[in-house]
Amino acid sequence: MSFPSDLFAPTDSGRFAGLIDRYRSIPGVHDEMLDENGQVRPAWVGFLEELTKRGPGELARRFGSADRYLRESGVFYRVYDDTAGDERPWPLSHVPLIVSSDDWRELSEGLIERAEFLDAVLGDIYGPGQLVANGALPAAAVTGSPEFFRPLVGVKPNTGHLSFYAADIGRGPDGKWWVLDDRTQAPSGAGYALENRLAMVRALPEVYDALNVERLAGFFQGFRAWLSSRSSGGDSNVCVLTPGPLNETYFEHAYLARYLGFLLVEGADLTVRDDEVLIRTVAGLKRANVLWRRVDADFTDPLELNTHSHLGVPGLVGAVRAGSVSLVNALGSGLVEARALLGFMHGMAHRLLGRDLKLAHVATWWCGQHLEREVVLENLDHLVIAPAYGSSVPGILDSGPILASDLSPTVRAMLADEIRARGADFVAQEVVKLSTTPVWSKGQLEPRPFILRVFLSKVEGRWQVMPGGFCRLGDRTDARAVTMQRGGLTADVCVVSDAPVAATSLLPRPEAVAIRRSTGSLPSRAADNLFWLGRYTERAEATLRLLRALGGQFTGAEDLDGDAPRALVGLLTSWGALPEEPLRMTPAFLAASALYRRDLPGSLFSVASAARNAASVIRDRFSPDAWRAVSDLAALFDEPGEAAAREAEAFDRVEQGIRILASFAGYAQENMNQLLGWRFLKIGRRLERGLNTCRFARQFGVSEAASASGLDLMLALADSQITYRSRYVMVASKAPAIDLVLSDEHNPRSVAFQVSRIAEHVNELPGRSAEGLLSRAEKLVARTVTDLRTMDPEAIDEAFIYRIETALMAISDEIAGRYFTHRDRLDIRNEVPS
Amino acid sequence: MIYDVRLQTTYDYSAPVATARHLLRMAPINRPGQRVLQANIVIKPEPSLRREDRDFFGNAVTRVSFDTPHNELDIVMTARVEVLAEAPLDPEQTAPWERVRDIAFSGSDMSSEAPAHFLFPSRLVPRVPALRMYAAESFTPGRPILAAALDLTRRIWTDFTYDTEATTIDTPPEEVFALKRGVCQDFTHLMITGLRGLGIPAAYVSGFLRTMPPPGQERLEGADATHAWVAVWCGREIGWRGLDPTNGIMVGQDHIVLAIGRDYADVSPVDGVVVTAGDHVLDVAVDVVPAGTPISGKKPDKKKLAVSA
Repeated sequence: MSFPSDLFAPTDSGRFAGLIDRYRSIPGVHDEMLDENGQVRPAWVGFLEELTKRGPGELARRFGSADRYLRESGVFYRVYDDTAGDERPWPLSHVPLIVSSDDWRELSEGLIERAEFLDAVLGDIYGPGQLVANGALPAAAVTGSPEFFRPLVGVKPNTGHLSFYAADIGRGPDGKWWVLDDRTQAPSGAGYALENRLAMVRALPEVYDALNVERLAGFFQGFRAWLSSRSSGGDSNVCVLTPGPLNETYFEHAYLARYLGFLLVEGADLTVRDDEVLIRTVAGLKRANVLWRRVDADFTDPLELNTHSHLGVPGLVGAVRAGSVSLVNALGSGLVEARALLGFMHGMAHRLLGRDLKLAHVATWWCGQHLEREVVLENLDHLVIAPAYGSSVPGILDSGPILASDLSPTVRAMLADEIRARGADFVAQEVVKLSTTPVWSKGQLEPRPFILRVFLSKVEGRWQVMPGGFCRLGDRTDARAVTMQRGGLTADVCVVSDAPVAATSLLPRPEAVAIRRSTGSLPSRAADNLFWLGRYTERAEATLRLLRALGGQFTGAEDLDGDAPRALVGLLTSWGALPEEPLRMTPAFLAASALYRRDLPGSLFSVASAARNAASVIRDRFSPDAWRAVSDLAALFDEPGEAAAREAEAFDRVEQGIRILASFAGYAQENMNQLLGWRFLKIGRRLERGLNTCRFARQFGVSEAASASGLDLMLALADSQITYRSRYVMVASKAPAIDLVLSDEHNPRSVAFQVSRIAEHVNELPGRSAEGLLSRAEKLVARTVTDLRTMDPEAIDEAFIYRIETALMAISDEIAGRYFTHRDRLDIRNEVPS
Repeated sequence: MIYDVRLQTTYDYSAPVATARHLLRMAPINRPGQRVLQANIVIKPEPSLRREDRDFFGNAVTRVSFDTPHNELDIVMTARVEVLAEAPLDPEQTAPWERVRDIAFSGSDMSSEAPAHFLFPSRLVPRVPALRMYAAESFTPGRPILAAALDLTRRIWTDFTYDTEATTIDTPPEEVFALKRGVCQDFTHLMITGLRGLGIPAAYVSGFLRTMPPPGQERLEGADATHAWVAVWCGREIGWRGLDPTNGIMVGQDHIVLAIGRDYADVSPVDGVVVTAGDHVLDVAVDVVPAGTPISGKKPDKKKLAVSA
């Protein structure tokens, strides 16, 4: 940079006018974009040039498209402590962190060494125990960790302890990267890193092309291939084990499972028999060989670990012991996340590698040792005090690490007493200053401190580093690592070459991907939820159609009997969509009750929420569009607004709801793989529609008082008016109307149509005997098809419809009993010892 | 002293259990101060799978699973155990407690009896500063460890009331401390919480007391079910010593050790996961008699413990 030619180059602030005019790096802090002389670092020049080419207006538009992409893909995170359990929109910074490939190469070498080292440490602690026996590590530094699982001592996992590792790193004032934390249990963020990248590429495609940004896909393909190779049954036996939709990173579990083509399972989807892990699928039990675990180890086996866990699989530890299943990462690998161990890395590295680690980590002193404790107490004000194990020390470090100098004298004295009494619970760490990277704020770039999470995985015989990562930015300019708040912005991480390179990616081309048409087994729980999603969405539609008809009653637009409104209200009441005795009988009031009342099991609020809950646990099986439709539907009835507005808008919302459901049906029909899961969704929908249509017909088509206007109403509810008019050109009369709504297999709303479609789906379900004998469900459906076909429409009466309805319910029960799991678990309790 | 021990545990299910897996810690093993002459577990119905094993702490573990429906599970353990007389030990002659604490934290022993395993909070032993303060009253500077621990044992026995109605299996030590009532499990967890708060290795011991006292002696509390007490590590030479806060005494020849762990969760006699739509009613009967005395085998008329799913 000191060549004379630089003197003649235009100054950076001139070249990137407007972008960095007011960009001021923080004194004494390394900045990623500007060097100490205020010059743009080479890796950033290309990006800033591209930004400069596009004016602020253009940039705002582009960044908006990234946000839209994230919203539309349904990227969210959930805040655990939030009682509403809200899903929050994903906070993406629009400026990526740019790292030069030289810098990255050196960092990668250090991280690979660290991954191998941590794997070896785990292997020793759970194995021969030499590190402790030889004094490189005090026994109590290990035994204090809740992630030291004694039932796993002496068990050698067949894929090693560590296969997927993440390091939280920061860059110090001297420009060197430091490891702040190791993530070895079930690191999250890789999927979010991928989403951030996709969103940014969506916003700035030519920029990403021009900059030779290293791609992320190769990393995932490599990891996927490696996991599949660990499984004797290929990738169909690889599962992603998730705690379920209430987990804060569930989106990522579903996303990665979908992206990698693995099965997303919860503990209840699995069972252990004869020390083998089996998946409960609609086609029976299937073997699982590899679990990519996103459930904390303690919760994975209620029999041998935490007996209160409902997320686990009883007997999993036994299967691990028998070597029949590989867990990634192994149970107990979270042990090396403990800060207490950071104080002994140096000695352990010398013992295991015979040298220092290439990559430094934050200086740490475990206070369980007399000498270290005394030094820490003397220098308390200059140190960060952190829990030695886990994320808190109850009663004193309840929310994690703190700067001792930030404490009041009383609290500081209390902390010192605690350290004196039980030093082993604490570590002291040096105060780390992070480097800063720019964020986009009001048309300008501004520096923010950040922590970078880098991901590594095993591939055949070695480790690979994801060329990118997950960058979390502080929302203040305070660069001390300990003050970083959670929930700030995140950024894409680009590894670019600072020298001119060929236009092609530096990454090796992804190996040819074998064509696959099936996504493997369908867990019973997923089938169950798909089935109920079908039923709930259809029930929502039927209720909306009833409300639409109710709205029509009072406008005077249609000529109807006075009994009809009462019959409609009666039907809505019997469905649980209206209270027994409504306060008022005005249509808007009734509609608002049926839409928004949270206490009514049949209200749109309740039914749409149920649909959304069913859909939320099977996110991996949906297109984001279909998910959004379900999510929009629930949102539509979730915010009724003021009482007055509530009534005024009620019928608008009815129409909106019907439209959303039509779009959902469209996505489900056109965008979903027509495999087993889709069939369960369709069966649910068809069954519910058949049942509802039967009820409409009984109420308005065959009762004593069935009148022309009642028949009209039935046709309207069954969405069959137009067909009727095109056929008969006259006022509705009973037999043709009943024929159209019940028996006509060409009318997509008729009961006969539903049943014949159910027959097609049921025939495709697993469950026939080896000799090809019909399953019970098939028999029930076939009988109902025949009943409807052979019944003379004139002779159809209430009793006949009721019989069809009962048959449909029997089919529903049969499918549920045959294909879904019903697990009532009871935890065995003991006597109280006395 | 040789004892015959019989422990019968019966689960009566209100609805059939389709499948079940259990982990039993029911058989005593040889330990310092105790020799098991014979031990046997009979399970009805016959498990589809049964495996005998040892856990990390060396306790005997029986793993069983059932894959056919059953309405009752009956487990009977019988054993003949010799409890050896230990050499008398003067509590005042043990090491200062601070030295024991420092040795425990700096040790390199990871074996199952190592004090390092018993220094930290565990599932049922949280970090409760108030209990550390309570325990600290016995642990004056330089006081010999066993003398201080025995003092704490007696204080708990004095300050707390034995009451089988006051607590449940899930009552945390902090609450027991406030109630000043409970049973052996509560006093044991409470004492361990206090000791570990001070950095003293403390273990949970489950076991048995002889049912009827020798003539002329008072019957000890806790003889109707499995009993629990504390083991305190007193340094490398002495090792572990038993203290029974429920009865305010050092453990002697009336105590038979079943299992040792960090807390009750490590030694619970029966753990399990069963698949059923119903609840269960549990019945436990314990008999501990000098060897050769006939065991009635008759279940005492005990209060039945109903637990909902």
